[in-house]
Formats: sequence, C-alpha cells, structure tokens
Amino acid sequence: MTKTPSAWIGRILFWLAIVLIAVYLLFPFYWAINSSLKTESQLQMTPGTYVPRSPGTGDVAPTLQNYGAVFRNDRFLTGLKNSAIVAVSTTAISLMVGAFAAFALGKLRFRGKQPSLYLILSMTMFPQVAVLTGLYAVIRTLSIPAIPSMILSYMLFTLPFTTWVMTSFFEGLPNELMQSAQVDGATPFQTFYMILLPLTLPALVTTGLLAFINAWNEYLFALTFTTIEPDARTVPVAIALFTGEVSFQEPFGEIMAAAIVVTIPLLFLVLIFQQKIVAGLTAGAVKG
Amino acid sequence: MSAESVPINHEQEPASPKRRGISDLAKREERLAYVLLIPTLIILFVIAFYPLGSVFYNSLSDRRFASGQESHFIGLANYSNLLSLKIVELQPEVDDTGQVVVDPDTGEIDYPPAVSVLPREPRRYRELAQFGLLGNRYVIGATDPEFVRAIYDTVAFTVITVALETVLGLGIALVVNSKFKGRGMMRVVMLVPWAIPTAVSSRMWEWMFKDTRAGFFNILFQDLGLSNGQIPFLVDQAWQLPAMIAIDVWKTTPFMALLLLAGLQLIPSDLYEAADVDGAGKLRQFWSVTLPLLRPTLAVALVFRTLDAIRVFDLFQIVLQQKRYSMASFAYYRLIDGQLMGYSSAASVVIFVIIFVFAILYIRMLGVRND
Repeated sequence: MTKTPSAWIGRILFWLAIVLIAVYLLFPFYWAINSSLKTESQLQMTPGTYVPRSPGTGDVAPTLQNYGAVFRNDRFLTGLKNSAIVAVSTTAISLMVGAFAAFALGKLRFRGKQPSLYLILSMTMFPQVAVLTGLYAVIRTLSIPAIPSMILSYMLFTLPFTTWVMTSFFEGLPNELMQSAQVDGATPFQTFYMILLPLTLPALVTTGLLAFINAWNEYLFALTFTTIEPDARTVPVAIALFTGEVSFQEPFGEIMAAAIVVTIPLLFLVLIFQQKIVAGLTAGAVKG
Repeated sequence: MSAESVPINHEQEPASPKRRGISDLAKREERLAYVLLIPTLIILFVIAFYPLGSVFYNSLSDRRFASGQESHFIGLANYSNLLSLKIVELQPEVDDTGQVVVDPDTGEIDYPPAVSVLPREPRRYRELAQFGLLGNRYVIGATDPEFVRAIYDTVAFTVITVALETVLGLGIALVVNSKFKGRGMMRVVMLVPWAIPTAVSSRMWEWMFKDTRAGFFNILFQDLGLSNGQIPFLVDQAWQLPAMIAIDVWKTTPFMALLLLAGLQLIPSDLYEAADVDGAGKLRQFWSVTLPLLRPTLAVALVFRTLDAIRVFDLFQIVLQQKRYSMASFAYYRLIDGQLMGYSSAASVVIFVIIFVFAILYIRMLGVRND
C-alpha cells in the first residue's frame, strides 16, 4: 500500500512525539550522568557543559572519581545494605501474611467478610504521615531499633496492597479446584498451600515486586526513625543527607554518581519485569 | 478480575438433608478464615489503628518529646493555634496633621507594619498576606502562618500537578497506545522515573535547578533569552512551587500514562472500526468513544494521584527543607526539630481528615466488589 502525503506527515508527527516524550523522561538522567562524570571544578563552570569538558582546553574530559568516592563512602554502602535488609524482609513478611488474609477474603465464607474487604481497601490509601507521631512514640518508648521499626512500619503500605491484589487473584481461581480437593479429603488449609498458592505464583511475583520497590523507596519513616540511629539509614535517606568525603559544599558530583548507582539496579528490574510491574500497578486501579 | 466473570456459587448451596454436616464444614471454614486474617489484623492494629488513636489523643495535649515536663490535656488549643485566621483592616499611616502619608518616591500610600494591627492576646497573630479590596487594605493574620501557608501550598500543588499529569499522561498514553517498533522499550522508559526513589529524583532536579548557570534550567532560560541565568529557583518564593510542580509532574506523569494506557487497551477495537465505518474522524472518535470509555480509569487514576499529592513529603523536605512546607513536612519538622508531639499530631490529624474525605469519595466511586 502506498502512503499518501498526509499519512507520511502523521507518521513523522507520531515519531516526533515519541522522541519528545523519551527526551523529556530521560533528560534528567542524562544530566545526572553528565554531572557525575565531572570534577568539582567542572561542575562549577558556567555555563555548565552538556558533556564533561576540561575548563582550560574545552576538550571532553570525563572522570570516574565521583564513582570511586561513592564506593568508598561508608554511609552510602551501609545504606545499600540496610535498604536491602529492610525491603527484602518487608516484602517477604507481607507476601506471607497477605497471602493468608487474601485466601480467606477471596475463597472462604465467613461473617464479617464485607467489612474486612472495606477495611483492607481503605488501608491501601492510608496516609503514613497520619500515624507518624504515634509510631515514633511507640518506637521510642519500647526502644525498638530502627531496622525492625522500618520493617514493621512499612507493612502499613505493603500489607494492605498485597492483600487487596492477591484477593482478586484468589477470587479468579476456579472454585472447582477447591471443591475437588475437598472431595479428596484435603482440609481447606491444605488446599490453600498445596493447590492454590502455587497457582498464584505469578501474582506473588507481581505484588512482591511492587512491595519491594515501594519499601526500597520509602523516605518519611526511614528519615524519622533513623534520626537517632544514623547507622540504620537506608539509601534514600543516605542520598538525601549525602555529605562528601572532604568538601563542605554539597558534593553534587558524588550525589549524582550515587543517584545513578541506585538507578541502575532498578533499571534492570524494570527491564526484566516490565510487564509484571504494569500488571501490578493497574491491578488495583483498572480491574476494580 | 471482576466478580461477574467468576461467580462465587457456594453462597447459594441448597439446604440438603445433610445440613448439619454442611454447617459444621461452614463453621470450620469460618474458623480458618479468622485464623488466617488474625496476623494481618494484629499487624494493622499495631502500626495503624493504635498509633492513629494515639495521634488523635496526643493532638489534644501539649506533649513534648525528650522533656521531663508532664503533659496536659489542652482541648482543641493545638487546632485553634494551627488554624486561626483573622482579617483586619490596615489603616494608612497619618502624620500629625491627620494627612495620609504618601511615599514621595513611589507615590504609594504608606501603611504601618501589619503586626501593629494584629491581636497579640491571648494568642499572637502573625502576618500571612495582605490584599486590597474597594480601596481599603486588609491583613490576613494567622497564629501559625506557616501551617496555613502549607495547607494552601499543598492544595495548590495537588490541584496543579494532578491536572497537568492527567492531561500530559493522557497525551502520552494515546501516543504510546498505537502499535510501533520499540513500544516495549518505551514502557521501560516510562517506568524508570516512577521506579526510582523520590529522594534520588529530587536531588537530580535540585541540581538542575541550581541558582547559577551550572544548573540546567538557568542555562536553558538564558539560552532562550528569558533571564540572565541567575534565577535562584529554590529560594525565590515565586519559583519554589513551580519548581516542585515540575519535579512531581516529571516523576508521576509516566505512572498516570501507564494507568491510562491499561484503560485504553480495555476499549474493544471494533468500536473504533464501527466508528470508522460510520465516517467519524479521529477527533470525533476520541470524544465519543475513547473519553467516555476511559472515564472509570481516569476517575480512579485521578483520585489515586490526588490522595498521593496531598501527602507529599519527600520532595518538599529534600528540596526546600524549612524554606517552605508541605503539610506533611510541616508535621515532620514540628515533631523532629521541635519535639512538639502534641502540636505535630494535630497537624497530622488535619492531613488525615482531608485525605479521609477524599478516600471516602474514592470508595463510593469504586465500591467494593461484592460477592
């Protein structure tokens, strides 16, 4: 089929739009990479350059010294470790506890089911800041260390979400599965963990990914609970409070390097699991 | 997964001669359900309901952290301190002869400082803003101008970001909805801003907003001939909110676009084919097919984002710190820097109430799927 001129114009406009969107979304990353490859004096050059250039000659002169500094920065490395511990634990616990609750809500009959569903749904929108002072008081009074405090408190947003999405997955599994298992003499709980749970594995991966990303990115509780325990700071807090090795000025070269270091694993996660992540994101919103 | 597609039928099991056996089974099922729900309920009680209760309770006290002082029940004093507003007319300055003083340089009427007309007892009011109306000048005083401004800023931030994100998000979703090579890659590009921590994106943008021409926006503005390249975006009152909005729109528009894209893909393509046959143009199809069918998704996405934007914290706390507050960062600083537990709790309650109202609307709109 030959294309008419107007179809060609449409085509060009379409690709122009695609390029525009991609540039808009990617440019801040480009600027961060660019800045992370500059020395302190290159960063202070005005006007700033679109590629790292030597102040004297104007030649392209990138440096990796900021990345070296980031990987020598104990606070940042401890932050990575703390974030990993907190995000993995939060995800594991909320998946386990949430799957139990979701099975009950999705497949069992009991009085009070409707109110429980309402409760879980409303909890998915619960504002963290509303319980900040209350949680902080509990934690200070019982002197719970910061890391378990974060793991526990992050369930405020991971657990209701996990439960809500898993409930709809359980509802989607045919009842015949349960009934035939019961005929074979399986108790409902056996049916749950031997038959239904393996079938919900894709849902577990999806919700787990989202819970992990949310827990990894959380900032308000992490900042508050680590106020008196700087060694427990997670990556977002470490980046927000980043101080360099020597300079008193905010070391933006190192901060940008740290930002890129944190972004790369997330980029891979998104590359591998993009379809699952989108499915999880839209599960609550579109299918309701 | 909608309930209609998977009818849950054991609710209507017919009463049979073996009714006793069935009700035994039903009892066991019910007991199992409660056992399975208990861990979730306990966790939610410890991290949500109990702290929420104590926040409400503390909001009525003058409790402080790390102090030996006993705390007292002070009723609604925290709330009235947070929210009290007073509008007072400002009389022009008059000289000894009773003449209105006019500034000789600008020709404008001289007004006394606003604090002179605002009440000091029992609580001190500070100036929030001034405005002129019918030739008179008025001062809005607040007992805590920072919180009132935080409410105003947060609401303005919410309305503008959500509106921009919806329009941009819809545009992006419509473009990406057509089939083209590299669509998967495009989805990755859209997911990354959403996936990175707000702390990271806030710092990236903070650097782009630097107040010299080392910052991208100052370079850009100068290249476009809009400024001398020295705009202190994050210090200048007039630029602070637009900067916050720009950062948030960048970070969350892709999320909005992905939600809307999922909604677009639910629209059956034969509707468009039918519209084509009927000779409806693209624009007509958008108004008559796409928009009405996208409405449920659009509504949900809107409310999701609204609730999220009202509690914005990371962005304001990291980029503006104490220069300007969102409601949440105000509550945070009163708690951590001020150790004012009671006062911060009252601010949290105000946020909670605002969000609660929206959440109720949301649940009404969606409804819990019934079985």
